[in-house]
Amino acid sequence: MNDTPFKFRASQFDIISYSRGLMGVAAVPGSGKTFTLSHLAAALVQKLSNRRAGRDQEVLIVTFANAAVNSFKSRIAAILEQERGLLPYTGYRVRTLHGLAHDIVRERPTLVGLAEDFRIVDDRVAYAIRRDTVTAHYSEWRERLRWILSDEVEERYEKVVINKDLPELLIDLVDRFISRAKEMQITPEELLIALENQDAVFDLSRFATAVYQDYQRSLAYRGAVDFQDLVRLALTALQTDTQYLERLQDRWPYILEDEAQDSSLLQEKMLWLLTGGKNWVRVGDPNQAINTTFTSANPQFLRNFLANPDVKDRPLNTSGRSSRKIIRLANELIRWTTDQHPVMELRSAFYPQDILPTEPGDIQANPPDTTSTLYIYPFDRRLNPDDELKVVLSSLQKWLPENPDKTVAVLVPENSRGFQLTQLLQEVGLPYEELLRSTTETRATAGLLRSALLYLSNPRSSPLLAAVYRDVWVPMYFDGEEIEDAEGPINQIQKALHRHKQPEDFIWPVGGDWTLALDLELPDDYHENLDRFIALIRRWLSALSLPIDQLLLTIGQDLFTDPTDIALTYKIAVLMRSIAQANPTWRLPDLAEELRQISENQRKFIGFDDAETGYAPKPGIITVSTMHAAKGLEWDRVYLMAVNNYSFPSALDYEEYLGEKRFIRDNLNLDAEVLAQLDALINKHPDDYEPGPASQQARIDYAAERLRLLYVGITRAKSDLSITWNVGRYWERGGSFVKQPAVPLYHLREIINGDG
Amino acid sequence: MRQFLEGPAGTGKTTYAVEHLHRLLQEGVRPESILVLVPQRTLGRPYQLATVKPDWPDAAGVEVVTFGGLARRGIQLFWPEIATTAGFTDAEGHEPIFLTIETAQYYMARFVDRAVEQALFDSINVARPRLIAQALDNLSKAAINEFSLDDVALRLSRAWSGHSSRLAIYQTWLEVAREFRQYCLDNHLLDFSLQLDVFSDHLLHNPVYQTYLNQTYHHLIADNIEENFPVTLDFIESHLPPLESALLVMDSDAGYRVFLGAEPLQAAQLQASCDDHTTWDSSHIQSKPLQSLSTALDAIFTDDDLSDTPLPELDPSPLEAFAYDFRTFYPQMLNWACDEAIQLIESGVEPRQIVMLAPYLNDSLRFTVMNRLQTAGIPVVSHRPSRAIRDEPAARAMLTLMALVNQPADQLPPAPDTADALVQVIANLDPIRGRLLADVVYGATGRSEMGSFDAIQQAMQSRITYVVGERYEQLRTWLMEQRETVAQTPPDHFLRRLFGDVLSQPGFGFHTHLDAGTVAAQMVESAQQFRRVLYPDGTDDWSSVWVEYRTLVSEGLLAALHEESWHKEEANAVFIAPAYTYLMRNRPVEYQFWLDVGSSAWSERLDQPITHPYVLRRSYDRDKVWLDEDEFQAEWTMLRKLILGLTRRCGKQLYLAIADLGEQGFEQRGPLLRVFQQVLRSYGTTGASA
Repeated sequence: MNDTPFKFRASQFDIISYSRGLMGVAAVPGSGKTFTLSHLAAALVQKLSNRRAGRDQEVLIVTFANAAVNSFKSRIAAILEQERGLLPYTGYRVRTLHGLAHDIVRERPTLVGLAEDFRIVDDRVAYAIRRDTVTAHYSEWRERLRWILSDEVEERYEKVVINKDLPELLIDLVDRFISRAKEMQITPEELLIALENQDAVFDLSRFATAVYQDYQRSLAYRGAVDFQDLVRLALTALQTDTQYLERLQDRWPYILEDEAQDSSLLQEKMLWLLTGGKNWVRVGDPNQAINTTFTSANPQFLRNFLANPDVKDRPLNTSGRSSRKIIRLANELIRWTTDQHPVMELRSAFYPQDILPTEPGDIQANPPDTTSTLYIYPFDRRLNPDDELKVVLSSLQKWLPENPDKTVAVLVPENSRGFQLTQLLQEVGLPYEELLRSTTETRATAGLLRSALLYLSNPRSSPLLAAVYRDVWVPMYFDGEEIEDAEGPINQIQKALHRHKQPEDFIWPVGGDWTLALDLELPDDYHENLDRFIALIRRWLSALSLPIDQLLLTIGQDLFTDPTDIALTYKIAVLMRSIAQANPTWRLPDLAEELRQISENQRKFIGFDDAETGYAPKPGIITVSTMHAAKGLEWDRVYLMAVNNYSFPSALDYEEYLGEKRFIRDNLNLDAEVLAQLDALINKHPDDYEPGPASQQARIDYAAERLRLLYVGITRAKSDLSITWNVGRYWERGGSFVKQPAVPLYHLREIINGDG
Repeated sequence: MRQFLEGPAGTGKTTYAVEHLHRLLQEGVRPESILVLVPQRTLGRPYQLATVKPDWPDAAGVEVVTFGGLARRGIQLFWPEIATTAGFTDAEGHEPIFLTIETAQYYMARFVDRAVEQALFDSINVARPRLIAQALDNLSKAAINEFSLDDVALRLSRAWSGHSSRLAIYQTWLEVAREFRQYCLDNHLLDFSLQLDVFSDHLLHNPVYQTYLNQTYHHLIADNIEENFPVTLDFIESHLPPLESALLVMDSDAGYRVFLGAEPLQAAQLQASCDDHTTWDSSHIQSKPLQSLSTALDAIFTDDDLSDTPLPELDPSPLEAFAYDFRTFYPQMLNWACDEAIQLIESGVEPRQIVMLAPYLNDSLRFTVMNRLQTAGIPVVSHRPSRAIRDEPAARAMLTLMALVNQPADQLPPAPDTADALVQVIANLDPIRGRLLADVVYGATGRSEMGSFDAIQQAMQSRITYVVGERYEQLRTWLMEQRETVAQTPPDHFLRRLFGDVLSQPGFGFHTHLDAGTVAAQMVESAQQFRRVLYPDGTDDWSSVWVEYRTLVSEGLLAALHEESWHKEEANAVFIAPAYTYLMRNRPVEYQFWLDVGSSAWSERLDQPITHPYVLRRSYDRDKVWLDEDEFQAEWTMLRKLILGLTRRCGKQLYLAIADLGEQGFEQRGPLLRVFQQVLRSYGTTGASA
């Protein structure tokens, strides 16, 4: 071992010295969790390699997000290679829960009724199957489900509600229902039996079960599973075959679980089995559990583990990330919630753990309070959402030029707000990167491919040809100035391509000379460049009779040089081929539409989230991110937007809730209700179910999670924190509800004011 | 003299067997009396090539066959003799109809579909084509082992230890299989399993046939006996005594077709029936470092759990035998391999001395590698036993034209298909004008018939060009004429005429495009086979058969075009193939590239929920539960065979291409990677060598 205490804090060193047993680590934001865990993993890899050279044993690290997988992998590899003289990338395996489940199922597919070439349908395909199945069943159920509509739905809206709003709601509801049923490992057939003789209030579950049954059959027909099945089936495999379980237990003698606050019921069960309750290190921050709504993820699993007397409790409390002022604010949010929150049920939202600033001499000292600023937008000034964007924008316009070497982020509760902001930033020319929903990488790659496919699907179209030139070709060869020059050759070419209604005159001119059709005087280099563009389009058109994957690979070869782009193209090509095979009547226009879905990135692209080490904020460039996606990151300056009582409610009666639709009776949250029905059915106490309490509990759970989300937002800031809020839009249209600052802000403002 | 010759690959066994054949002929043995029995047609290739050599006069009568081929021929010859006793209903006056894999699937589909509709297969997630294939696979397993159908269901059930719902699945299979079998007997259809059953149970016991066999064959050469099915080995054993001579050749480390039912252990036991047993073990192919590598790999596998025993010291070091490269992404890995291959060829290596192998070879992978090498001007061929019709532009074009002739107006092919077809079949038509022309097809006539070029505006005529217009009119007129005779015309007749009368003529795309002509010929053959099997007695109205043919093609049944890729594979070109396919070609090379070494597919068997390659072996204890340990051991054994088989067919250098993230973006940690990590650790280096 060449670990020395010098580079580690005592608490970190203590963790790295772990040798066996159960250990729980509650780590506050910025306490060096990944750093510590990576070193622990490397130490254990070395231990395994010393102990039984060559044996097929690995340290298994399970984490939550794909980006974290990449980051861990490379960190551990670097430690092994540079500090311990071992082969990098061997002796350990980093997986998300889905990745681990995939490994387990992949090794023994028949154990769970799959062929070895089973497919995983991604979320988009799964959604489409559910949507189609809901639509197919809905007409039969429409009348039976009518009772769930509110009496207050005005007659003129009724049609819209019945034909559009309710079916849309049902698609999401069914999704949650099926996910939970799979988590509980219950089949549609078992549910049908449980539903026999239940009264009409269970019709919602009956409907969902009918869809569940058809959905599963659709998957079976494709020889496919969805992501939830993958996890469910992995667990089934481990439960079914004890020999297989023992082999895996032997393969992974140490399991390190990162982000354990997001552990779900299935993950909990799977890791209990795989560790056999022996060598299991769980690391997480119960106060950053922000993925719990309608999932079985629950920070309580980690809290219970920490409270278990057999578990070594090794907290990481010390953090050098933020200024003391910001630390105090975060700690106060926890203290106030725990002691003073007006809703009693929310007082347990946080795990009582203070962040401690570093001791003098620490390698990572906290940023000084003297330059640290905290700001909450005044409560007596009401901003509408657009004004709030402008306030933040003008602050950025002032701050950014003065602080080119610092990092800054604007964190929003939802994607849509982020997109609005990026539009404004684009207009005023401030540099930014977005971290909304998922990576821009996929969107850019898929977007370019789609642009090309769109033209190829209709080669007669001049506007589409002009679009390929503008969106695909020009960015490869010209810089911003040339592109923006409205009178310049590029724009002239583009307009000419758009205007001339016979694209064959360019691409396959009868006389062989396209310049006649273009009718433009072009400098030589532009002429030559356009010649190449035409040759490229001709090449692609000639490839039109190739299967979709080969067509995409051909286009990709011409467009991309970056390995990530090429890898993504390859992956998209394989995916599109399987889509085309599943839908033999689809042609290029349909496939181009599929690519649009990908370019809007509603799909899960395992393994291609930020190529190497995850996202790293860059000085002078604004990061626009959801608060969820910001987890694990830090910036010198952070803006938290829309911190009102809609985005951050406190389970108070006068607040409105995302999950409660106006057209549903009695403020019921149908998602919550159907899950409560499911639980009652599974637990064989259907008589205990009544409509209402589950919706109320959903408010509490949601409010608790949003409190933790606010905590995550605050603790992203190293030095400066600015919080704004808005009154929403409904108010402007004469609605009764006016959004207010989130309740905790009242207390936080006092703290800030107290700080002067 | 009965000779048993064994040894690993590369020791010259087949060369010896071919010389043995030559000697027999030189000694004046009649070629017709020599039976060369091989487990798979590809393995008979060295014999076929030898017998057509100019210095081998009169060798043409030598029979090089598989056991299936022998069975089929026997049934054909002796059908009246055995049909009724074999259980065929109303056999008199009906010829046997031999089903191909595809036509067997066609018939099996109806029974599987019925079970699917009744939700009997609901507890497993297997796509329909795979269900059908597995249902047939169990039947084949029964036949090659001489199990009854009940025995198959029983073995599968007893070996299963998981959820009880699977037992019902096996039972469902049994019922489906019985229905299928009865249907075949009622309609004198013989799928592969029934061919073997009839041959083993009826023909081989028939005294007339026995006499015929004994009188016909006096000499036997059986190569690669380790790849044979138990029924084949039974046959060899029982027919050895009356023979004048026999040479049995066995590759001692092979048995690659165990998945399919091969029984290498049973094959090895045949030596007891021979007078002479010879073992060869010195490689004529491998360089010294590759021999070291084989020794090191063998040691790793013999030490079966990668435990602590040190590997043997070797000189030269096995590390000299291979280069490797570790990349993050899959296409990067492919690029590296292609670059290295290009360099080799630039340095003077013959393309045919290079193979690129992957555990599976999908179309995207094949396309990427072939495209890359072809762009660099390197000839490359790929093993491609079958291709989907919809992936073949020329075939697709013919189907589209077929639809234009006989399809209800509302089911006409979509415009992009028609455009694509026109571009394929009309010479010098570019895709843009093709699309414009497709609009003409669907023009003002309300889709009741193909629109006329003459009826469109002059401006559009001029855009499309008059030359193209003229050819289109020629095609249209011909197609419209065919409408009148659809009811009297089988689909294959139409396709043949389409090619002969129009597409092969000057001005049309297939006139100069030879590959398209080949595809057209294969297409005609496939449609002909479809007609002969499904409509042996013809029908009054063929128009619905046209639709049925097209539907089956689009559903993926009847989807494939088969081709003999012999001469292609023997060309001086880089060969790209799945690893097992390469092994079964038995063609040593100087350089091997193993693509995607991290993939777990290198050790995986085809894993199928309703069948089981090991449990359905004669040597498997029928009461034994199949455990994880068995699975692990079986995979390990197969991986050993595979990589020893490959390295023994490699003369100079091995290239290992490794990607951290697989094709689908999953991180890869397959056992082959771990094996090579062990080699690296033991013989000492940590950095990538290339």
